Amino acid sequence: MPPLPASRNAKSKPSTTDYKKIAAEWAKAKRIKDSEDVTNIPKPSNTDDARRATLERRRKSAFETRCSWTVGFWIWLLFMHLTGIVLFTSGFLLTRLVLDERSECATPPIEPLIKWSGSSTIDGGCWHPKTFDKAVIVVIDALRYDFTVPVEDDSKAEVYHNAFPFLYQSAVQSPNNAFLLPFIADPPTSTLQRLKGLTTGTLPTFIDLGSNFAGTAIEEDNILMQLREHGKRIVHLGDDTWTSLFPDYFQPNLSRAYDSFNVWDLHTVDNGVVDHIFPLMEPERRGEWDITIGHLLGVDHAGHRYGPNHPAMTAKLEQMDTFIRQLTEKIDEDTLLVVMGDHGMDGKGDHGGESDDEVEAALWMYSKRPVFGRTHVDFATPPATAKTRPVNQIDLVPTLSLLLGIPIPYNNLGRPIEEAFAGPEGSAWDRLAAASGVTSAGIKRYQASYFKARGLQQSSAPGSPVSLWRDTEDLVNGFAKSKNWAALYTAYTAFQKETLTICKDLWARFNVPNMVLGIAVMALGVVVLLLYVSRDEDDDFAVLDDVDLDLAEETLELQGVSADADVTSYKTLIKTLVKSGVLSGLAIGLVSSAIVAFTDSDEWFWAAAAAAIGSMTSVIVTLLSSGGKGFLNLIPGNFWGWLSIIFAASQSIGFASNSYTIWEDSISLFFLATFGITSAIAALRRPSVREQTMGIYHSLLFVVLSRVASFSKLCREEQMPYCKSTYYSSATSSTSAPWQLVVPFAVFLILPSIIKSYLQASRSYEGLAPMWVGYVFRPALLLSAGYWTLDAASNSNWLTSISETTFKTIHVSIAQVVLALALVAGSTAFIWAPPCVSILTTSANNRTAQVTVLGYGNTNGARYLLLPINIACACILLSKPMGGGAIAIMLWQVLALAEILDINDIAAETIGPVTLALLGNYHYFKTGHQAVLSSIQWDSAFIPLLTIRYPWSPIVVSLNHYAGQILACVALPLLVLWKTSPKRKGALESVSRALGIFIAYYAVESLATMAWAGHLRRHLMLYRVFSPRFMMAATILLVVDLVSITITLLGVRTNVLAVGEVFGFAD
Amino acid sequence: MSQVSKKGVTFAVQEPAKTNETDSPSQAVQTITSPEAQALRHAHPAIVLALFVFRFRALVADPVSTMQSSLPVILALQAAYTIVCLPAAGSQGAKPSRKLRPGEKKKAGSEVAGPNIAVTTLVALVLSIVSAGALHMLLVLFGAPFLTHLPHTFFCSLHLSLLGLYPLFYMRGVSGKDWAEILSARAPFDEGFGGLVGACVGAWLGAIPIPLDWDREWQKWPVTILCGVYAGYTVGKLIGGTLAFGKRFGGADSS
Repeated sequence: MPPLPASRNAKSKPSTTDYKKIAAEWAKAKRIKDSEDVTNIPKPSNTDDARRATLERRRKSAFETRCSWTVGFWIWLLFMHLTGIVLFTSGFLLTRLVLDERSECATPPIEPLIKWSGSSTIDGGCWHPKTFDKAVIVVIDALRYDFTVPVEDDSKAEVYHNAFPFLYQSAVQSPNNAFLLPFIADPPTSTLQRLKGLTTGTLPTFIDLGSNFAGTAIEEDNILMQLREHGKRIVHLGDDTWTSLFPDYFQPNLSRAYDSFNVWDLHTVDNGVVDHIFPLMEPERRGEWDITIGHLLGVDHAGHRYGPNHPAMTAKLEQMDTFIRQLTEKIDEDTLLVVMGDHGMDGKGDHGGESDDEVEAALWMYSKRPVFGRTHVDFATPPATAKTRPVNQIDLVPTLSLLLGIPIPYNNLGRPIEEAFAGPEGSAWDRLAAASGVTSAGIKRYQASYFKARGLQQSSAPGSPVSLWRDTEDLVNGFAKSKNWAALYTAYTAFQKETLTICKDLWARFNVPNMVLGIAVMALGVVVLLLYVSRDEDDDFAVLDDVDLDLAEETLELQGVSADADVTSYKTLIKTLVKSGVLSGLAIGLVSSAIVAFTDSDEWFWAAAAAAIGSMTSVIVTLLSSGGKGFLNLIPGNFWGWLSIIFAASQSIGFASNSYTIWEDSISLFFLATFGITSAIAALRRPSVREQTMGIYHSLLFVVLSRVASFSKLCREEQMPYCKSTYYSSATSSTSAPWQLVVPFAVFLILPSIIKSYLQASRSYEGLAPMWVGYVFRPALLLSAGYWTLDAASNSNWLTSISETTFKTIHVSIAQVVLALALVAGSTAFIWAPPCVSILTTSANNRTAQVTVLGYGNTNGARYLLLPINIACACILLSKPMGGGAIAIMLWQVLALAEILDINDIAAETIGPVTLALLGNYHYFKTGHQAVLSSIQWDSAFIPLLTIRYPWSPIVVSLNHYAGQILACVALPLLVLWKTSPKRKGALESVSRALGIFIAYYAVESLATMAWAGHLRRHLMLYRVFSPRFMMAATILLVVDLVSITITLLGVRTNVLAVGEVFGFAD
Repeated sequence: MSQVSKKGVTFAVQEPAKTNETDSPSQAVQTITSPEAQALRHAHPAIVLALFVFRFRALVADPVSTMQSSLPVILALQAAYTIVCLPAAGSQGAKPSRKLRPGEKKKAGSEVAGPNIAVTTLVALVLSIVSAGALHMLLVLFGAPFLTHLPHTFFCSLHLSLLGLYPLFYMRGVSGKDWAEILSARAPFDEGFGGLVGACVGAWLGAIPIPLDWDREWQKWPVTILCGVYAGYTVGKLIGGTLAFGKRFGGADSS
């Protein structure tokens, strides 16, 4: 199976005799090149030279055509992956039917149980006696419940404790004026989703999450719509998410909207709200508004930027404390003041998922008039933790509606909050029951129309909402005898709870056929990739990497003899594949679209699935018939093949378990160590002592580096208490510790020297390499270290003399310079760089010069290395200090891996790309990420930019988030091209095959997580573990597909062309 | 199994007879054929496993002290097994005398190896303890705790060393050629190499249950690894001494 090791290894360590051979080679290549501009060297014949030139041109254009077909193949595959993922997602992410009905003031869902004057009018209260005329609603973004609960024991108090005690104190001191309760958010805990829940009273579904960056107006019935329809004037101050959700709702001259996503700015929004809200509270201006909404973002931004455990958070909470105190003094007796968090934050100050810390917000209501009460004496003090007596965030909607006397929005599922209706004595059971009754009737009405719209049947079994509702009716009918309001209230509550459960379950309804189709498309995609990368012994074109054979072939070609059809089959394979795939895909796609269009069936997903499946089936058939591939070739022939399968398969099986998904970072380390140790063992089998030593050295280095990188950790909540985060300065922070600045400076000092040593080993530290590595890469790393030093300085307030704006400008400019050097200058340099070789003309007689080419044996690899270096440089800057260290280690590991593959002569095996893919995933975790939504480092968008700018901000966040996989994908060709000479044939085809293995690994992971998430769709941990891991795998697959097309393949093309320019095309 | 070996005595004697040249790849080491040696050879894995099962509860309750206290026992077991069942290192060099042995049956070679055995045992012990340090580092590389749980990891690697490496040190000594073969996994399977491979694979597989969220006491470090080591060692030793005897990884013995 190993393809003629002698030929490749001989070239990897050129001896003096080899030099002569190489020199002759080079001289010949030079002649060919010179022959283009008619030379004066007296050499055979001009016609011969002309023919050589023609041959070169022909080879070059043939190569360029093959490049286009290869890129075409990968684009085709990207579309297949996209189709599979979209299909599955459409069935998997929950959808809810939005009903258009509106609640009316005059028509309550049932006859109110109590009588009051002005009922069914907006003045007296539509469905319930009105309590307040006006309301001030203050949303403190990410106000976690424990921020508001004082901790008396100082040793246990974190910096965020005791900074905002007013809510708790007021609720304890004057329980009739204020109450404080835990306020549980329904995930996803992003602000946009939360605002939808807080205003409509219904459960958001997951599919809306993606629209966080571009909020869209709410169409369904909601509390703001009801307020507006009943003539209430609404003022909005703060976060501009509101204005995108509720366009034209707010008083234009009084409202002020501020940018929502500028997370590095802690004060602009808050100061804007504070400055504009107090004038409105003055007695003479109270007539200008009915409802004022203030949304403050400082606490959330402090969390995102620093984490909760930072003095900035204390300062922010103290500011909030003062603000709320002053606000309570300003409002009048008819105004209700509501202060709430829309969600919490996790240990690092981020949110989006459904961990306890993220969903536990705080709710506080205040009134100058004593109206609130407690139904039990134990409820007098606010709960110590969010686990006791929590209310749901959707409960705010009926509570607020009934207190302000407007109808409850049609889609509401929440129930009135007890404290708000229990009366100052805490015994107003009639009021409570009435409020609960009208809310329940609304829920029942909504339930009925939803079931009707969906064509579902309601169960009437005991314990079902229908039977629970009947219980309440029985109680009402029994009122003739005795009025047991408390029992009625309990019965209504039972009905509401059960209905909510049913609704949550109902909306967790999956479109299984779409999911199955998605999985089928992905599975076929994996089969295509596996067949494409499978090979038998004749199929191995690396065997053609032989100088003598090449010479002979060239001579033949020069003489006009066409090359053997068998030899060139690998060149045409991909073209055949693309043609068959695209043609059949188009044909089936057109036919099925036509069917869908004619039958009006709206099943566009099915048409897409048909096109994808048909297209891939035809490619599989082509591969099996004309491609000469077979399923039998998929069975590995040696240990390395089995090892790749063990890595990929055991991880895929492991994704069925939440534990293995949670601990994926440690498991990846375990696999990487396994590879390193086995490759060390394999190196001991090499014939020469030098190879044995180098093999063991690089293998052990690979393992040790993995272990060193493992000290950079960002733990997910489920890993507690067995994990200690080190990525940031503490577990409750999102800034780096000052000592972590050692990392970027160490990277600056060490990494360029490491790269130099690897290049020098093959005498390839020639050409552009010394200049680029020494004078561009190294200074860029220094600048990056400087950037993070300034960052630490600003976080710890070391710098006070420079103004904030000047500082920010300098700070951002440094980052921009680094990125410009790495990406713009880097790409330019990579495109124009000559091969990393040096040509020595030693002795000469008057006829021929003795020419030595240093670095010839690694011409392809050394030059290509410039590209991964540039990408790594950008990633090091964007991955924060610890992550930058991880990326530097990864680059080192990639080089070690390339050496290991070369020494053990397994560059053509599947293990190389699989290990690289594993390495990419591993460093995903080591750059401060986890398979949870809250680990997305949104703040990285502000490293090179002051504000959000499209498309740059998403690109920067992606480079930060997928740094490991992107670098792995870009570095992939190194595994194939490292230590290969310019005469390496089929470089493009070998890279494409390695890419197939590499992407197959991610495709298998995607398929596995997809299948498991679909299978475990009722699992308790679905949204915490399985769904985020699926989303991670799916996005990684698409990112890797895109990067491989735009960077890797184009990089290889550039590289082969540049090398070919000098040495002639290897075909 | 014992039937097979009783019948297979004649075959077993043939094996070493093939090894004539000393420069060729090393040969699998045959256990001593005396009845007591054979008896102990078969009893040994059972005793090792029984010891492990017997101490399992204590191991889960207090891994460090249990591993520590069972060290002398396991060392005695291994020493007894190697002295009785395995030819000491260097006694293979004295092959001509061994070749004559079948007729004499008992006690053969003991006078040759007499001074050898104590020294070899001692050297093997020292080497095992030293290599436990290397194994400790290896465990850390695979993700074992680096600074915490030091005694846990060290005693675990000491057990691994005593089971997997000690018999090999005893029968192979410090022969560079033999060890190069063992480390590159080219050595022929016998009870020693089979045991080592089994123990290592067992330790590798032993890591599998650790991440599971079953909240069982026995999931704590390094109980599962030790389980894998003991189970793997006995299985590997059995297979190495019987089914796979003389075979090599990769099938061919050329490379």
